[in-house]
Amino acid sequence: MSVRRSRVAYAFIAPWAVGFVFLTLGPILATLFLSLTDYDALPGAETSFIGLDNYRQAFSEGTPGTALLNTGFYALLYVPLSVVIGLSMALLLRRAGRATGLLRTVIYLPVVTPPVATGILFLLLLNGQEGLINAVLGWLHLPTPFWTTDPAWIKPGIVIMSLWSVGSVAIILFAALGDVPQTLLDAAQIDGAGPWSRLRHVILPMISPALFFIVITNTIASLQLFSEVYTMYFGAQTTNPPEAALFYVVHVFEEAFTFLHMGYASALSWLLFLVIAVVTAVQLAMSRKLVFYRGDA
Amino acid sequence: MRLRLPVGGLASILVLAACGGVGSDSGADEGSEGQIDGSITTLGFGGEDEIGMARVRAVEEAYADLDVKINSGAFDEQQFLNAVSSGNPPSLIYLPRSELGTYAARGALVPLTECIDQQSIDMGQYLDSAVAQVTYDDEVYGIPEFSSVRLLLANTDALQEAGLPADAVSVADWDQLAQSTRTLTQLGSAGIQRIGFDPKIPEFLPLWTAALGGQLVSEDGLTAQLDSPEAVQALEYTAGLVNDQGGWSEFKAFRDGWDFFGGQNQFVADQVGAFPMEDWYLDVLADVSPDAPVTALPFTDTTGVPLTYATGQAWAIPVGAGNTDAACAFAATMTSTDTWLAAAEASKADREKSGGEYLGTWTANEEADERILDEVYEPSGNAALDDAVQVVRSVQSVAVVDPPSPAAAEVKRAWEDASLRVLQGDQTAQEALTQAQEEAQTAIDEALR
Amino acid sequence: MTAGQLAALVSSVVVVLAFVYPFWWLVSASLKPREDVFDNGFWPDPLQPANYVEVWNQLPITTWLFNSLVVGVAAAVAVTVSSALVAFGFAYFDFRGRTVLFWCVLATMMLPGVVTLVPTYLLWDQLGLATTQVPLWASNLFGSAFYVFLLRQFFKSLPRDTLDAARVDGCGYLSMFWRIVVPMSKPALAITFIFEFQASWVDLLRPLVYLQDPELFTLPRGLKAVLDQFGQGGEREWELVLAANVIATVPMVVLFIIGGRYVVQGITISSGDKE
Repeated sequence: MSVRRSRVAYAFIAPWAVGFVFLTLGPILATLFLSLTDYDALPGAETSFIGLDNYRQAFSEGTPGTALLNTGFYALLYVPLSVVIGLSMALLLRRAGRATGLLRTVIYLPVVTPPVATGILFLLLLNGQEGLINAVLGWLHLPTPFWTTDPAWIKPGIVIMSLWSVGSVAIILFAALGDVPQTLLDAAQIDGAGPWSRLRHVILPMISPALFFIVITNTIASLQLFSEVYTMYFGAQTTNPPEAALFYVVHVFEEAFTFLHMGYASALSWLLFLVIAVVTAVQLAMSRKLVFYRGDA
Repeated sequence: MRLRLPVGGLASILVLAACGGVGSDSGADEGSEGQIDGSITTLGFGGEDEIGMARVRAVEEAYADLDVKINSGAFDEQQFLNAVSSGNPPSLIYLPRSELGTYAARGALVPLTECIDQQSIDMGQYLDSAVAQVTYDDEVYGIPEFSSVRLLLANTDALQEAGLPADAVSVADWDQLAQSTRTLTQLGSAGIQRIGFDPKIPEFLPLWTAALGGQLVSEDGLTAQLDSPEAVQALEYTAGLVNDQGGWSEFKAFRDGWDFFGGQNQFVADQVGAFPMEDWYLDVLADVSPDAPVTALPFTDTTGVPLTYATGQAWAIPVGAGNTDAACAFAATMTSTDTWLAAAEASKADREKSGGEYLGTWTANEEADERILDEVYEPSGNAALDDAVQVVRSVQSVAVVDPPSPAAAEVKRAWEDASLRVLQGDQTAQEALTQAQEEAQTAIDEALR
Repeated sequence: MTAGQLAALVSSVVVVLAFVYPFWWLVSASLKPREDVFDNGFWPDPLQPANYVEVWNQLPITTWLFNSLVVGVAAAVAVTVSSALVAFGFAYFDFRGRTVLFWCVLATMMLPGVVTLVPTYLLWDQLGLATTQVPLWASNLFGSAFYVFLLRQFFKSLPRDTLDAARVDGCGYLSMFWRIVVPMSKPALAITFIFEFQASWVDLLRPLVYLQDPELFTLPRGLKAVLDQFGQGGEREWELVLAANVIATVPMVVLFIIGGRYVVQGITISSGDKE
């Protein structure tokens, strides 16, 4: 799909470029500058330029590292599961026939359920002793950990809560599945390919652009997870936030707004940026072999 | 070598401040000398309930030329810092007293000496503990509102069943308390059935430390004392209580499963023996389970003298806000005895309209508290609740508080994390608090730099 | 019934139960009297629809709903149109700096928004717009990295032959975009609109920081004012809070039911392919 028409292309890109220069770039550079100061967002105190001290502090303190490990662990669990479960549900939707509309709405319901309610609800559902999830697990003779209080199970508990909203992933993949040409599937079937084979050799390559998008954006989002965790374990009505639930951006938020170390928080943010950029670059590099664009033939 | 940047310079690097934002109109700012007019805005005051609305009405009646804009919603740091950064802070902020020191130490709040003088505010009418919390470096930075204290709530049915007298769960004798806890606790194969005594750790560590005569932070808020012998002993003891009752994970999970605000709460469902709690929970009980088997007792120190831990809110004036005279008048009127009385009447009428009980209002204004109890409050006839009200009254004046500290949030986080590490069995109390002490003191020193 | 169909049926039932439950819990709890709200009972007993009446009377829900609607539609329309244009630029053309620029697009997703909050606020303040609803949607006029990326992936999946054929017929690029690409991309565009509307609908942070005048409050901002009473010795009216939350959710569900139909589509035009 490579039509060499730079000027037209720039015209299409222009809206984003204008916004980037005038709205986005300024604040981004400001935070980079602030990360080299001890700014605390209040006018009263004097702010000094302190060079790389914030960055040094980030490496010498244990908390950022712990927070990053927590976040990384969560991302490693969540992203693959979201793809697998999302795809399964999208495939299910494709076969649903008349129930498609209903099913589609149903899987999107958790996404529209207000965060307030979701937070409260999950603390109840995940409760080690009284929660519904453990009730079901117990009935199936599976282990019933203390999802909300046992440090080893807090992150998996948060993964479960995040997976509830996998409807968004499913919808995107469902749309992508719609673009898989029926002719190819028919041809494969005629050639004797079974359902798994059709999945592997026809469907997955055809939806690989969407899958790739999901992996990248879910990874970036996971590494920046904030609201859900903050509501469940750090909000105003809670006390005793367990260190196992300290996600990186939660730590950044607290440093910025609770402890008033805005400069340090900016440095922490830029360090996360680097981590995410590296991870994304790796994923992009791997995608060259795995993603197939029909428009690129 | 450090380059000092004037803050003005920093602001101009980012952007120039412009009109708009949370502040008052630049037009009718100061008003003429002595006259209270123009407009003021507040941040952090909910004000939607009867007690809030009645008092705001009182201010509006007292100052007809003053336009009061309440930006409703709890104090949010993001909201506040954005407003301040753009050079348009609200006229008043309403925030928990424990957070005041942090802003005062960074020069973000206006010292209220002049204001108090001008409005003839009698600081003596407020509780000593509340005034201590709003005083930083010998200057007053806030006008206190509300005083929420902690008392012991005991499940009388459980005590009776175990053949224990009410004072078996008294905090005066820690050995006896541990013994009673073991008796009252019921562990089962399906998990905990009843918690004997919930010490509410980490939250109430300051209270337990005070029971031994110690303090987590020095009076002036500048020296952390987290590894003091009293703190270590308090943490060790309370963590021990939790361990005797099934261990932290199970203990907390069971507690989280209580229908805390509902009709099947832990007293009705016999899930707890006793625990210390904030006084507002009495309102909840009166609402959903007025006949629950509850007795209120004062928390005490180890010699049996009543003791409590108090928290509350305060009004403060951010630096750079306009119309400080009006802001000051607002705060003074909101917390005056007469205004509180009117608010109490309104609250009582509202409660009775919905079939509930009025259990008094604890205002941090001692004079108002007494008059409310004498003139507005009427005993409900429910012995448990009536006695509880008297207990709350009796402990208001013996409260310990968190001293105003430049790094309040970080100090709190340090001892909370330490407590959790001990509860989870990762460290001993001594190890955990030694670590916390270092973290806390570093934070305080950093903040003062 | 084949084994496959049975499996699909069972899975569907499980999915429905699992996914409907949170929403059911919310609705059920919102219809209960205060002391029962957290009792986890399946059915409200007694049923208290008066909660909704009281919410409607006590809170300016209509104002908040209207504001949320205005802001949501503005945000969703703006982001769909602009992101589609930008995404098409990245998908169809090869040009100098394409990789670098696309990396810049992705990079804007990688810095946590927590720390850009204050500088961004100051920027809007300098424009004199810091107390209006404008900052809640105006940045969408310039596209959003997430949707640019999403739409770029979908556009790149379109068969090249069809688009080239249009060019051969003398179509200008913009015309080709509107007349060919857009109709073929309805699912992706519908998803963009719905997702952004949803994001705007539940956004609390921006209304909290930018809006001062209660007349301009969106739903989450309004509900926060109600919810925050609990922390101040207030009324603890849980049942009303949950009822308000349900009311807040209804428009989103309706939107999704309507918009969901656009998400279903196969390819309609392609040379050599049939749907």
